Amino acid sequence: MKLIKNNKVVKLSFVALLITVAAAMFYTPTASAHGEKSQAAFMRMRTIHWFDLNWSKEVVPVNDTMTISGKFFVFSGWPETVDKPEVSFLNIGIPGPVFIRAGSWIGGQAVPRSVSLELGETYDFKVLLKARRPGDWHVHTMLNVQGGGPIIGPGKWVTITGSMSDFVNNITTLTGETINLETYNLENTYFWHAFWYAIGLAWLFYWARKPMFIPRSIAVEAGKADSLITATDKKVAMGFMVGAVVLVAVSYANTEEQFPVTTPLQAGLLRGIKSIQMPAPTVSVKVEDATYRVPGRAMQMTVTITNNGDSSIRLGEFQTAGVRFMDSAVAQDDTGYPDDLLAEDGLTVSDNSPLAPGQTRTVNITASDAAWEVYRLADLIYDPDSRFAGLLFFWDESGNRQMTTIDAPLIPTFI
Amino acid sequence: MSASQSAVRSRAEAVKVSRMFDWFILWAIFFVVLGGYHIHYMLTGGDWDFWSDWKDRRLWVTVAPIVAMTFPAAVQACLWWRYRLPFGAVVCVLGLLLGEWINRYLNFWGWTYFPVNFVFPSIFMPSAIVLDVVLMMTGSMTATAVLGGMAWGLLFYPSNWAVIGPLHVPVEYNGMMMTLADLQGYHYVRTGTPEYIRMVEKGTLRTFGKDVAPVSAFFSAFVSILIYFLWHFFGRWFSSTDFVKSA
Ligand SMILES: [Cu+2]
Repeated sequence: MKLIKNNKVVKLSFVALLITVAAAMFYTPTASAHGEKSQAAFMRMRTIHWFDLNWSKEVVPVNDTMTISGKFFVFSGWPETVDKPEVSFLNIGIPGPVFIRAGSWIGGQAVPRSVSLELGETYDFKVLLKARRPGDWHVHTMLNVQGGGPIIGPGKWVTITGSMSDFVNNITTLTGETINLETYNLENTYFWHAFWYAIGLAWLFYWARKPMFIPRSIAVEAGKADSLITATDKKVAMGFMVGAVVLVAVSYANTEEQFPVTTPLQAGLLRGIKSIQMPAPTVSVKVEDATYRVPGRAMQMTVTITNNGDSSIRLGEFQTAGVRFMDSAVAQDDTGYPDDLLAEDGLTVSDNSPLAPGQTRTVNITASDAAWEVYRLADLIYDPDSRFAGLLFFWDESGNRQMTTIDAPLIPTFI
Repeated sequence: MSASQSAVRSRAEAVKVSRMFDWFILWAIFFVVLGGYHIHYMLTGGDWDFWSDWKDRRLWVTVAPIVAMTFPAAVQACLWWRYRLPFGAVVCVLGLLLGEWINRYLNFWGWTYFPVNFVFPSIFMPSAIVLDVVLMMTGSMTATAVLGGMAWGLLFYPSNWAVIGPLHVPVEYNGMMMTLADLQGYHYVRTGTPEYIRMVEKGTLRTFGKDVAPVSAFFSAFVSILIYFLWHFFGRWFSSTDFVKSA
């Protein structure tokens, strides 16, 4: 009897089998969030501008909390190619649940669900994290936009110390019990899975204890199929079936009795999220031209600034895609902003003397730093819509800050 | 090896070889099914099975039994019509669950550290036992599709309630009400699964009021019947011996 025609087929099927088994079993949910560099530059420059960010701690012991707070501006010149943030979710970019998200708020409203955001608005946000797994983790701000994907903000290294086995996640339910969500229901889950698996194995071995394939196949081909199922088999089978149904009913009733109060999963979009009322800027900025000099890793722009306020102003910071170019003579960072995203003296203005009220001046601004290359912002010049955008921060005599946005075409120069 | 020569010399030896062959085939079926069924179920059921905060009373109840009905129907077709062995559905579910548990335990927990009480798989065994027994008792594909398929869909939610029920206890958190399952989804950060991707409590069955789970289960059972027919025929075609008979 020649069972299988070709040895090669056997080998190939075996390889294919191993691949499918492996492919399915090695599937791991996405844990990494270090995609900010690979995200198209225009996405980072023209969607969500994160600013005033603060990571409350750099070292956190297991079970302790830290917050990431700040503001984000939903850019008015949102690119056509990305869906508007009508359904978005305030996430956090960490490699899996190394922290648990103990809370998140936009404009003071808790946002465990998706929210609807408006273009041109600024929102303040806060994410409360509780340390769970020791290690050095890059913690990014992150907003997911339906149809637009994840928009990853700046990241900072945070160290968690201690041991994960000490982690507890105590929650008090509305029925008055306090449970540790880290291990709650775990034994019950293992029990029921093991229980049903054992019953399945029992059914399989009931049949496998007798000769299976060759003799039964011969009997079926000889027309004696009916003889293969005995009266005992039928009784046992009925026992299994009735038993299974009864056990399901009993386990269901027991669960209902033990947990009389249950509710459906909660979902739904949160609308009406409050934005910050930003004071209307008294300074107006017009971009005359902007170029990116590839060899010098510097962006140069000519802008005309008009001061319509009643205090003289100076330009202190240009921020785009989370990279902050500052003029240290005007403003410094004191929040411990990540080094790689901070160019303390990266901003040069041809004339940065205070601009008196009512005056207009045209200046050359240079923003230069290795971050252009490191964060691949320079790739903007290869984007289909080669525009750049960012925030300009001005300070007046009494130290008040105001924010304006710029959005203009960018011309690369290669020499 | 010529077809006319036998490799065994005595009846005892023939029985022994036949038994070895039994175990070899059973082992092969188990792992082929494990690989194929698991990957199929992951691609179609995916997130509904991965996370406790997707296991709702509408879509999970509807989707999971429908997409899981496939392989059991096909394997039953092969094992019953050729060998009168009524464990096609059970062997599928045993393979699926083993694959899922290895994946959840090693990757979701061991590698990414999602707690197992958040990423456990769904229970299908009671449905599978009923499906196998109905086929064995009736010996009819139509009866198995209709009665067994119906039971397959209807038993799914109650079979899983013992595991997911405790996670549906409500909790007040930051001024909002949610279930413990929702809270697991919120706490254990998934960067690749934002909240809006979650397909829960969506659908058009709202007119039935509070009792949506039974309605969803009936709908699921009905579609499972159709899927059973379809995959049963795949199974029959696949297990036909036309391609090896020529020797
Ligand atoms: Cu990172």
